[in-house]
Amino acid sequence: MPSPDDIKQRIEAAIPGATAEVEDYAGGGDHFRVTVTAAAFAGRSRIEQHRLVYEIFGAEIGGPIHALSLKTQTPEQTLTH
Amino acid sequence: MSSSEPSTLRDLPMSSSQPSPAREVPMSNGESNPIREAITQAIDEHKVILFMKGTPEAPACGFSARTVAALQALDVPFAAVDILPDPRIRQELSAISNWPTIPQLFANGELLGGCDIVTEMYESGELAGALL
Repeated sequence: MPSPDDIKQRIEAAIPGATAEVEDYAGGGDHFRVTVTAAAFAGRSRIEQHRLVYEIFGAEIGGPIHALSLKTQTPEQTLTH
Repeated sequence: MSSSEPSTLRDLPMSSSQPSPAREVPMSNGESNPIREAITQAIDEHKVILFMKGTPEAPACGFSARTVAALQALDVPFAAVDILPDPRIRQELSAISNWPTIPQLFANGELLGGCDIVTEMYESGELAGALL
């Protein structure tokens, strides 16, 4: 099962300019809460933003990654969220 | 619907806060994917439809429970499909929506999102308008 750091690295590698904060919120190694901030999200709907992140993990969602709770935002939005 | 025999699944396990006629999945046109057809039809026929784990009265997971709570707080009529009785429902749904997790909320035939998005939209006030 991936560690929060694995998840962070993979997101930041896959989405140019992104920063990811990852928390294992259930303590069991398979429920993660992630906040991804990326300029690449600008102009995209929330669904599209979330899909960009889910696609990084593919079939692991629902498997080794039981839950991936997502919050996505652009750098501008971090001031208001 | 509480049918739990995968080989004979003909209706999606659905509850709805609005009366609607019971519907059987059409099986006669040689289509080999009746579940996908039933899902597509359900999304088309119900203005607001939530695919979830469990039922609105007894959600089986916290994410589904939270999504139901947002809909109930807005007092919006919605249909709910329990994906647990048959693993093929989730499989076909994800193929249609290109979204990997449950719950999934559709409004007016389009995927709005899962628990995170629905909760965010509820808190920002956008959800009510999106469900009209």
